[in-house]
This record gives sequence, structure tokens and C-alpha cells, in this order.
Amino acid sequence: MLIELNHIFKIYQAGHVEVPALIDITLQVNKGEFVAIIGQSGSGKTTLLDIIGCLSRPTNGEYWLDGDLVNTLPDSRLTGIRNKKIGFIFQTFHLLPRKTALENVQLPLMYAGVSRTVQHDTAQALLAKVGLQDRLRHYSNQLSGGQQQRVAIARALANNPALLLADEPTGNLDSQSGKDILALFEELHRHGQTIVMITHDPLIAQQAERRITLADGRVVADEAMHQPLPVPG
Amino acid sequence: MLRSIFLDALKNLSGNALRSGLTMLGVIIGVAAVITMIAIVEGGQVWLVNSLERMGTNLLFVWKKRLTVEERQLFVGRNTELRYDDALAIQTRFPDLLVAPIIELDGQLKAGDRDYSGRITGTSPEYSQIRNFRPESGRFVSSIDIKEWNRSVVLGHTIAEVLFGSQPAIGEGVKIGDQRFTVKGIMEPKGEIYGHDYDEMVIIPISTGLRFFQGTDKIRSMIIHVPDRQRMDEISQALHQFLVQRHEGVDDIHIRNQGEFLSAVDQTLLTFRLVLGGIAVIALLVGGIGIMNIMLVTVTERTREIGLRKAIGARRQDILLQFLIESTTISVIGGSIGIAVGILAAYGIGDVVAKAMPGGGDWGAVVQPTAIAIAFAFAVVVGVGFGLFPAMKASKLEPAEALRYQ
Repeated sequence: MLIELNHIFKIYQAGHVEVPALIDITLQVNKGEFVAIIGQSGSGKTTLLDIIGCLSRPTNGEYWLDGDLVNTLPDSRLTGIRNKKIGFIFQTFHLLPRKTALENVQLPLMYAGVSRTVQHDTAQALLAKVGLQDRLRHYSNQLSGGQQQRVAIARALANNPALLLADEPTGNLDSQSGKDILALFEELHRHGQTIVMITHDPLIAQQAERRITLADGRVVADEAMHQPLPVPG
Repeated sequence: MLRSIFLDALKNLSGNALRSGLTMLGVIIGVAAVITMIAIVEGGQVWLVNSLERMGTNLLFVWKKRLTVEERQLFVGRNTELRYDDALAIQTRFPDLLVAPIIELDGQLKAGDRDYSGRITGTSPEYSQIRNFRPESGRFVSSIDIKEWNRSVVLGHTIAEVLFGSQPAIGEGVKIGDQRFTVKGIMEPKGEIYGHDYDEMVIIPISTGLRFFQGTDKIRSMIIHVPDRQRMDEISQALHQFLVQRHEGVDDIHIRNQGEFLSAVDQTLLTFRLVLGGIAVIALLVGGIGIMNIMLVTVTERTREIGLRKAIGARRQDILLQFLIESTTISVIGGSIGIAVGILAAYGIGDVVAKAMPGGGDWGAVVQPTAIAIAFAFAVVVGVGFGLFPAMKASKLEPAEALRYQ
């Protein structure tokens, strides 16, 4: 078991009003699964991703990640967990501007404390893996959206994380680039990578082997999709 | 890891050249302003002290003290004035001193169809030496003039021009009141020193002034030169005693040491310095606010950057270290450029002022190492402070919040 959420609540404080974003979420994700979390905007899926990614703490409930009860860990330990166990892919890529593809991919390695040579070689290998071996020294603004997302995927994989967390990874891409990214996910999944992907698009969710549906902060459906459909488009 | 963060921070700076440059500009302006202002104030001080020395050095000034009504009634009939005799007695009693008694008269000078109304000074030959004020042509008042009540006059540079223009003046006649005087000398240009314009002086022998104009032997003051600076206080006291004795025990004189005078000037300069120092501090603050503005403008981008860095594994101290390196580098480089700009500006402005000021040829900025140190230290503190502050705030946010900061 990689992820285990037990009765997770997340309540935001808006002035004197409490706004519940997640209500009593309980779910498990096994190693090697490819899970899509789907829901309308405002359903709480981004909040759920933040909690799974240790970017934010639940108001209530237990969260076990790879054997650690992470909701009780201090910030410094969470930082280490994010660095080593989780790779993030965001809708808006979140590459650092004015840095090359190589430098962006090196960042998580730098914070992991590996030597500069290892940083360089690993980043180079990862960029080759996502098909950007000839774009190493390009700056983010010299890359297309699809290429930027590939850099982000290479960065997410830098420390060989147990979990790949993707938030609308194709949301800002044209359909062909989106298809390529999903194909890359499929490929990673085939090699045993655990992936949790958030999307509002049911067609994209069909790429996953399991689909969890959120509505108004609750899990309303959790279904296995034994035969993934071919990539749409 | 430290090395990586260091290199990463430096790359951030060069990658954001505009942001780094604008921030640096704030530091440069602050540091340069402080250094330039202090250098100019210091230059002014040196110039003023030099001017005072041109006034002559080791001087004692003797005045008659104003007595109260009661004192005047008490001392009625006693000899309570500062008189020409006092000056002569001092010269006899203290032969190594140079004594210049002074009287001042208001009068009108006429030379041909030109005239001039103003102050006429009567003094002795020693005045020239004491004040370090020499004739440019002709001669100063002589001891024969004094002895024989000669109607000789020596003109300040400006007065000679007013009365004679470019015509030769030596040997020409000048009427002062209804007396006919002969011009014996024209003084060198000396300019205005501490409110007294030497070039507007009209000097006659004191004996002549007393006899033909004043009718009494009261004098206004004496200037006395003491050869040995160490003995100024001692001689000042001896003179005081000597004069009180001559005045039949009435303490009606006042002796001021040039040193006291200089310390009064120092006091003025200190005030001047504090005011300009205040302006300089404001300049530093303006520079600091410039830095802060750049930081605030970029805070959205930088907060997201901090969120992203935390998401991919940066600890809070890694973030703070990165921002510390960035802001220190900017402050130190900006501070160094500011020092160079400040020094150049100080000397540049010094030159302009020297050229603009009459007799300001020896004026120049004086760059103080302490000013450099203070300005630099302040700039680094402000630069690092304002650089680190937004980072400290942003690094406290949850990564989720920082990442989606609007």
C-alpha cells in the first residue's frame, strides 16, 4: 500500500465561515496503480492532490504514505518526502523561467544533495528519456507547451519517486501534445510507476486503470477500468 | 549542496539582469549619495579652516566689554576705555607680541568724479603681518605714517577699482571727508573671510584717524599675534591682568582666543554635517525603498518560485540561504559601484564648486574612509534586509498556497 487516507477532512477558514473542501475521504492506492481523480471544478480534487502531495496538511484524519504517518511529521520531514518520494506535474508546468531545461531538472537533485556531476548526468539522462536530448540548454520560454511539460515530467522523475502526482497535466496543451504526454504516462506506468492524475476530463481519465470521482468534497465513485481505452483524439 | 545553492543563486541574478540591475541601482544611489555628501561637507570644512588660517593664526582679539548701568556708576571717573595708549603699553610691556590697534570710521572717499561711502579702518603697520594681508603694489601703512600723522591711505582691491578703475592709483589723491589723502598702496585680493570682505577695506594710519576724525583716543579693538601657540592662554591671561591694572582695577575688557573662535566654527560645521548627514540617510532610505519596491513587484513571481522550490524539496533554510546569497551579492556589488560613483561624483562636484566659488581655487571634496564604511555597511544591511524579508514571509506559507499565489 502506497497511499492510505483515513477520514481526511480539509476545512478552510474564510473569515468566520468554515468552508469544507474535503469531507471524510477514505481511500487507498497501491504501488504501481494508475489512478485518475475526476470531478468538477470546486469538487475538491486540487485540495486532495495538495494533501496527497504533502503540499498542505489535512484539518483532520490520517494520511499514510509509504509507511509514514505524514500528517504528524514536521515540515522538514515533509520536505524530504516531497523531494524523494513524490514527483509533481502541474497544469501550468511551473518551470523556473530564465533557467534551462537541464537546470530545471537538476533542481530536485540539488535539494537531494547529490554532487553536481550526478545532478548533470541524471538530468541529462531524464531529458533524453522524455525525448528532449537536443533541448538541454533551451530556456523554458524557448520550448513549446508540450516540451515544457516533458521537462516538468523529467524534473518530477529526478529522484526516482514512488509517486507521480499530476494536476491536469494536459490542461494547457493542444490535443496532440496532450496525447504524447498521456502516452508517456502510460509508458511510465507500464514500468511500474505509481501515478495519481487529476483531471476534469472523463476522456483523459479513461487512460487510468482506476477512476475516483469527487463531488462537493466527497468520494462519490471509485471504479476500476480494466480495459483502458485507446488514447482519445 | 551549499555550492550548488550558491551557484544557483548567482545564476538567478544573472538570469534576471533587469531585476538585479534595478535593485542594485537602489544600493548605488544610496551609497553614492552618502559618500558624495559627506565628502563635500568635509571639503567645506577643510576649506573653511584654511580660510580661517588665511585670516592669520595665533591671534588674540581684545574688545572693550559693555558695562552695566550700575558698573558705570560704580566706576565713574575711572579710566574704563580701551585706548590707543593701552595698545602702545602692551607693545612696550610684551615686545615679542605684534599688536594692531583698530578704529573704525564711516566716511566718504572721493577721487575725481568717483566716490565711495563706507567703513574706514585705522590701524598700525603690524596689521598687515598679523592678518597675513599684503599690499599688491605700493606699501602698507608705515611707522613713519603713524609717527607723523600722515594722510596716507591703502585701498582694498575692490575699492581701488571703484575709485580708479584700471588707472594707476598709487600716488593719486583721495579726499576722505575734507582731508586730502595720498594713495600709498593697493592690497592683494583676499576675498571675504568669515563675513569680512578684505577687498573692501580702506586703511589709514591709526594716529591720523584718531587725530583728524575721531578726536578721542578710544579704539575699537586690538588684534594681537602671539608667536608661540602654546603660550596663547598664558599670554591672554597676562594681557587681561595688565589691562585691568591699567584701567584702575575695572575689568572692562574681553579677550578672545582664536582657538575659541575656531571651536565655534567647528560647532557650526557639526550642525551642517548633521543636517547633510540626515539628508544622506534619507538618500539611503530612498535607495532602500527602491530595493523594497523591486522586491514587492517581483514578490508574486518569487513566491511561486519559493512554492515550487519547496514542492520539489527545498527546505526553508535552503530558500533563505538562496535569498541571502542573492541579496548579499547585489548589495555588495551595488555598494562597490556606489563607492566608485560616490567618489567620482564628489570630486566632480568639488571641481564645479571650486570653479564657481570666488577664491574657491583650493576647494575640494574630501572623501572619508569612515563615510565609505558607514554607507557600505548601511547599504548591505538595507539590501539584505529588504531582500530577505519577502523570502522569509513567502517561505512560511504552505507550499500549496505559495505555488498558487496570485
